[in-house]
Amino acid sequence: MLSPTATIEETELDLITQAQQGDRQAFGELVRHHREGVVTVVYRLCGDANMAEDAAQEAFIRAWQHLPGYQPRSPFRNWLYRIATNVALDVLRGEKQTVDVDALPLAASGPSPEAAVENMERAEYVRQTVLALPPASRAVLVLREYEELSYQEIADTLDIPIGTVMSRLSYARKLMLEALASHVEV
Amino acid sequence: MDEHVHAWLEAYHDGELHGRRLQQVESHLASCKECRSELEALQNLSALLQESPSPAHLMPPDRFVAQVGLRLPRRQEEANRRGSLNISWRAIPFGLFGMWAFIQALFIVIDLILLGLTFGLGDLLSQGALISLNRNELLLWSIGLNIGLSMVIGLLYLSWLVSWWVGRQHTQNET
Repeated sequence: MLSPTATIEETELDLITQAQQGDRQAFGELVRHHREGVVTVVYRLCGDANMAEDAAQEAFIRAWQHLPGYQPRSPFRNWLYRIATNVALDVLRGEKQTVDVDALPLAASGPSPEAAVENMERAEYVRQTVLALPPASRAVLVLREYEELSYQEIADTLDIPIGTVMSRLSYARKLMLEALASHVEV
Repeated sequence: MDEHVHAWLEAYHDGELHGRRLQQVESHLASCKECRSELEALQNLSALLQESPSPAHLMPPDRFVAQVGLRLPRRQEEANRRGSLNISWRAIPFGLFGMWAFIQALFIVIDLILLGLTFGLGDLLSQGALISLNRNELLLWSIGLNIGLSMVIGLLYLSWLVSWWVGRQHTQNET
């Protein structure tokens, strides 16, 4: 008997095959299934919800155009993330980077009367710190920390060697630990 | 105390270590406060990153899917293939007409030769093979073949016309 995961994978494979043959409805189902993941990846990379949705749509359009060339050797999700990351990086290249980690407000490290407000401020500070990372390191950090991809999956997704994944991740974490020292110190 | 495992801490934290290396790091962590606190910093960082909220106020999934669907272009190769098929399909009547015109021209030439033979050209070609054939039979054979081939071409054209009409009805129903 097939496991539920295997059944889902088979269903997805069927949808992919149909979409490769030009079935827009099948592709719509794939979009519905992967929308959240793709939007989240793009949002973590560019930091703006509206921009993330636009870029995610652009990523799905590129995916549609390149779908006939997709080989199911690698997971479809990773293939989509690769396209989404490239779109997000393209968008970021077009946008002027305005976040500077040294210029971030220091309020997050100070005491706040309300714990909820403090949490929100801290979350915002963390988000801004992620956005201040160099895009290449940010992409690796996002795929590892938020999407929980393995080093190999990140390497496949971004088309870079595993050693580069490790060095970029290490660099991103080093910068994050420096910027968030007061929150992560033990 | 054995050597510190700074270089392996991130891979350990990410679940990328296996076998002996994993055991080595675990046994070192059990006895080294410095490496343990470095690992804890990595764990705190991950926890802090997870606190960062997901994007709020996203459009409903149905709307997102519909918008993507509206923006999907027709695939280039699909468009090219359909375009070339369309051109070939529309060229069929011209091809059939060309074939019919060629056959008519051929038979006109044949008929002219046969007429020439009837009116004395045969005497000039008394050694030719055609002289031995019955000219009337040849003329009938030529007319019969002409009519037969014209009918075949006519039938092919009618088939094309029916297919075109059916395809048109199908397209109208889809839209």
